[in-house]
Amino acid sequence: MVIDAHAHLAWRGGNGWEERDRALIDAADRLGIDKLACSNLCPRRPACPEDFIQGNEWVADSMREYPDRILGYAYVNPGWVREALEEVRRRVGEGFIGVKLYNEYPCSEPVVFQLVELCIELNVPILHHAGYSHYYVAQQPRMSGGVEIAALANRYPEAMIICGHLGGGGDWEWQIKALRSAPTAYADTSGSVVDEGLIEMAVRVMGAERLLFACDMSMTAGVGKVRGAQITEEQRAMIFGGNFERILAKRGGSQ
Amino acid sequence: MTIDMNAYLGHWPFRRLRHNDAAGLLALMDRAGIDRACVSSASAIFYKNSQAGNEELADQIAGHEDRLIPFAVLNPAYVDWEYDLGVCAEEFGARGLRLYPNYHGYSLGDACCNELVAAAAERGMIVSIPLRQIDQRQRHWLLEIPDVALRDLEGLVERHPQAKFVFLNGLGYTGSRLGRADSGLPANYAIGISRLSAVMADEIGTLVRNLGAERVVLGTGMPFKYPEPALLKVEVLDAPEETKQAILGGNAERLLG
Repeated sequence: MVIDAHAHLAWRGGNGWEERDRALIDAADRLGIDKLACSNLCPRRPACPEDFIQGNEWVADSMREYPDRILGYAYVNPGWVREALEEVRRRVGEGFIGVKLYNEYPCSEPVVFQLVELCIELNVPILHHAGYSHYYVAQQPRMSGGVEIAALANRYPEAMIICGHLGGGGDWEWQIKALRSAPTAYADTSGSVVDEGLIEMAVRVMGAERLLFACDMSMTAGVGKVRGAQITEEQRAMIFGGNFERILAKRGGSQ
Repeated sequence: MTIDMNAYLGHWPFRRLRHNDAAGLLALMDRAGIDRACVSSASAIFYKNSQAGNEELADQIAGHEDRLIPFAVLNPAYVDWEYDLGVCAEEFGARGLRLYPNYHGYSLGDACCNELVAAAAERGMIVSIPLRQIDQRQRHWLLEIPDVALRDLEGLVERHPQAKFVFLNGLGYTGSRLGRADSGLPANYAIGISRLSAVMADEIGTLVRNLGAERVVLGTGMPFKYPEPALLKVEVLDAPEETKQAILGGNAERLLG
């Protein structure tokens, strides 16, 4: 079983979304990806409840259309505390497999904590957008880095926190080293960066059992770097899907 | 025959590279099923005198000329490049150049650059230009090097219709004149696939349709990058087998003469 732990469906606010979603499924077919764990991020951010609820509704719609292929993350802005908590509880009840957080708040902000506690109660992972660059990223002043993700995971070791895109967020050596000290944190391998040695360092420093294959829409980059890494076949199988299946099993199966 | 037009030996000052000597690169090529590779010195990008990097490259390649094809890094803003070009072509067997205008502090429109390109064309050498060497988001805190702009390449290919260009580590060609069928630009350039999509947006497929299959070449970026993602792009490309073979090596063979 190959599961892409970080994918996105198209926002349906304009033309062409059906073709883009179909193209994602087609790419998964050609690349041997069995399932795609998807969120639908609204273009207007920071997200308001009206928008993130609408995006999640479209994810639910896609889950019905592609029941064997699409797994759903519920995307919320944790700053809308009551609405976000209600939305996550409702969507997990409908079969969503986890929560997606973007960059509205760094994950060190207390406003995120109630959401993490709810995800612990519901036994679902949180995929957190993340990155670290050695300059001020003006477009994303509230982005979480590996240090903040590790701190959150250590605050809540029973949570399943996934640090997003090791290959899409700047200095991946920094991110991997930051996550070393958070033994319960996961990282996904997605992003367009295919630097030789990335996967091997992540396996060496974090352990293969904490890595989740993903593309974040960089499809051949996502598959190619895991395919090319000098790791054991057992480790490769864990990364490609075994680890995510284990996460899904915690709340009763892989849908 | 699989030929990678985008490979390197040597060191990068801000990240440890693996497989970056001849033995290591050849082992990586064997693993990935790559027969030959056009290789330049990564160290030469940062040496003030890039010729020292070309000399290191020649030492590394010695005895492996059947698989490793030298490309010289030359800086036309640095003294005596004309002599270095001759040494690279005649003694080291360089079949092409790699130019780094934004690392070396000149513009593709500068007279010195045009002189170098014309001299390379005179010798039948390929002029390859990596639009970037690393992803900007992971740059070192000491250095900010912008990507080479596609519009600057348009002027270059127009000024040198007799030259052979290969553009590497770029994307977004289909949004520029370079990727359009009716651009009016000379057909004197090929495009490497390391950052292009083969599914969904499928920029490779669009370039094949717009420019022809003979204008797209394999370039992995190894050992900066895993070679497998670029090979995978060709594997999953929605194209006839002859197109895939042209991209994998046929086009490079023709360009290399």
